Amino acid sequence: MKNQLRVLRAQRGWSQADLAERLEVSRQSVNAIETGKYDPSLPLAFKLAKVFETSIEEVFQDEQ
Amino acid sequence: MSYLSSNAAIRRYNVRIAVAMAFYVVFLAAAVWTFHGYHPTGIPAFSLAILPSLPVVGVVVIVGLYLAEEKDEFLRNLLVQSMIWSLGATLTVTTVWGFVELFVNVKHLPLYLIFPLFWFLVGVSSWLLRMRYK
Repeated sequence: MKNQLRVLRAQRGWSQADLAERLEVSRQSVNAIETGKYDPSLPLAFKLAKVFETSIEEVFQDEQ
Repeated sequence: MSYLSSNAAIRRYNVRIAVAMAFYVVFLAAAVWTFHGYHPTGIPAFSLAILPSLPVVGVVVIVGLYLAEEKDEFLRNLLVQSMIWSLGATLTVTTVWGFVELFVNVKHLPLYLIFPLFWFLVGVSSWLLRMRYK
């Protein structure tokens, strides 16, 4: 699954650690999601969208 | 403060493991001392022999509690994956070693070593998986 985490973070000037703190997860989690190595659960995906004040579709895109 | 250092589930896990290991040392010392000094038999001997394994069994419960309490799904996933890899590796090593023991004159692998072997392999798997997710 493709994602826009890096772009959305950059737009807000947030580091991975900043985003991790907002999500209440480890920085490793943010890194694994951002690099596409780990697909988050639906609740975490919704939380990501909420933190970025956008929709899930703006954060994640199906690669197919 | 980073998530890992502020993580309450990890803190509780560390405290519980420390307590379990303290009990393990005390129980093991008590069992060794009693068997050497008093040579118990029957039910007291069985009870005493089982005693050091109780904190070790407690470690399984402690890991289960950690998995239930850890809020970071990625860290949970990492541990579960590490345990699955380690389970496969431990079953492989012990099965192969068992057949070698059966046919070749090699040193017997005591069953109590399987538990530390499993957790050692969890550590190795966890390190390899973290490399993959880096």
